[in-house]
Amino acid sequence: MGMNIQEATESPLVWQPQTAEEAWKYKQSYGDDGVYIAGGTLLRTQWEAGTAIPPRHFIDLNSIPGLNEISIGEEGLLIGSQTTLQACRANPLLQRHFPMVIAAVRTIAAPSIRNLATIGGNIVSVVGDSITALLAYDAVLVWYNGVKEQEEDLADWLPEAAKPGNRHDRLLLRLLLPFKAYRKEETPCSSEEGQVNSDTKLFHAYHKIGRRESFTPSLVTVSVSGLLTRTGVIEELQIAVGGGQTIPGRLEEAERAVKGKIVDNAMLAYLYDRIIELYEPREDIFASAAYRKRTAANLIVTELWKAFGGLSEQGG
Amino acid sequence: MSDKVSGNELANGLTCSINGGVQSIPASPSKTLLTLLRDDFALTGTKRSCDIGRCGACMVLIDGKPFNSCLTMAYQCCGKQITTIEGLSAGGIGSIQQAFLEEGGFQCGYCTPGMIISVKALLDDNPDPSDDEIAEALSGNLCRCTGYGGIWRAVKRAIELIGCQ
Ligand SMILES: Cc1cc2nc3c(=O)[nH]c(=O)nc-3n(C[C@H](O)[C@H](O)[C@H](O)COP(=O)(O)OP(=O)(O)OC[C@H]3O[C@@H](n4cnc5c(N)ncnc54)[C@H](O)[C@@H]3O)c2cc1C
Ligand code: FES
Ligand code: FES
Repeated sequence: MGMNIQEATESPLVWQPQTAEEAWKYKQSYGDDGVYIAGGTLLRTQWEAGTAIPPRHFIDLNSIPGLNEISIGEEGLLIGSQTTLQACRANPLLQRHFPMVIAAVRTIAAPSIRNLATIGGNIVSVVGDSITALLAYDAVLVWYNGVKEQEEDLADWLPEAAKPGNRHDRLLLRLLLPFKAYRKEETPCSSEEGQVNSDTKLFHAYHKIGRRESFTPSLVTVSVSGLLTRTGVIEELQIAVGGGQTIPGRLEEAERAVKGKIVDNAMLAYLYDRIIELYEPREDIFASAAYRKRTAANLIVTELWKAFGGLSEQGG
Repeated sequence: MSDKVSGNELANGLTCSINGGVQSIPASPSKTLLTLLRDDFALTGTKRSCDIGRCGACMVLIDGKPFNSCLTMAYQCCGKQITTIEGLSAGGIGSIQQAFLEEGGFQCGYCTPGMIISVKALLDDNPDPSDDEIAEALSGNLCRCTGYGGIWRAVKRAIELIGCQ
């Protein structure tokens, strides 16, 4: 049975650092007995379930100025780690340039939880539902390691972070979503698709499959985006998969295998088989690995088929 | 490094505004806002049900936005403006409550304070929401009795009533 959190966290000390360096020092001082807290929504769930012990020292990251801002940097959009999921959901820059992130955030919990929960907490959880969308955009994490800022691709960090016994001492400051040259002229993306010019077409989709329609943990999450020519050749393709306790990842081998190919039945069948082969979901009592593989493969192949269909309807 | 903010109790107690009045009380920083409201302030209109963020019965407004008070800890409320269902009724029954009464938006009524808080947050932000926006705003509020039909009608009626004001 889970521990009574009210009792177990009766007397924590709450530290409110003013800088990343101070937060880091608190973490170094208290080790496993000190925990970085952003919104605390995941941590409270873990304490309640008994999967983590409530610490004696709370290191409150909300007190550090400037970590909850979204701004345009030289290389892309910068999102402070303390930005709440609901602030992400409402942000016009994210809506315009990174619509899959909006689609993902919209599926996480409910607005009242998103008012407390942060994008940083979602990422550091390693299995947050925003991660597949961020992977498809080649997100870069910016950490503070006690000495300096350190950049690391989200895709490189995930497998390391998921290793048992990994200590999360570094502080996530922000993430960078790079602007891609080929997406530069993307139209404001409230719609599902965007025309880059008369010869090419951008497409993107995020899906979360759970056991209920809304307010549900995920079984499978999928992000797929790319660029098609008028003749149906795949010029760019990003496929990311995750869901449940599966560590999300890009299916780069599948992407490479079909890039430069024309979208037709044979190519879609081949891609379907590659996804079944490459995606390694964790199963649980609710859904088998085979079900999750089929679901992901169906969603991805359908999106490509829809993107090409849309192009043909426009006279491509 | 900055000073320790709190020990067993917040340094100067928790100071925040509750339903318009400034309140200062000693509180353990990890105590939930739900426990504070119900046990320390006797504001029992805010309901306890799942206690883990899944049902919405404990919904309150913090600085005008909806939050689950069972997930929100005392230290996260310092300096904030908190509004509970009692705060919405201070000047008599409001349009949203009237709409719930007219349209049968409740049966046992246990989810109702949380529902009304979520509808208040939605309509303050967006007086003419689409069906999708209503569904998203209420996605964290569960009702075991009504099947949601009466609640849906009540939200539509509240939009009309507020629009006529
Ligand atoms: C009812 C409910 C429903 C939920 N539904 C979903 C869902 O549908 N999808 C989903 O993905 N999640 C869901 N969650 C989980 C959780 O709310 C989210 O993952 C949320 O984004 C976590 O953010 P937080 O700020 O609350 O993190 P916290 O709980 O504060 O922290 C989470 C972890 O990240 C660490 N951390 C936080 N910020 C940093 C940082 N800047 N640097 C280093 N470490 C850091 C913390 O130490 C902790 O280990 C749900 C939770 C609840 C209670
Ligand atoms: S009691 Fe808070 S969400 Fe259920
Ligand atoms: S009216 Fe009974 S739970 Fe909603």
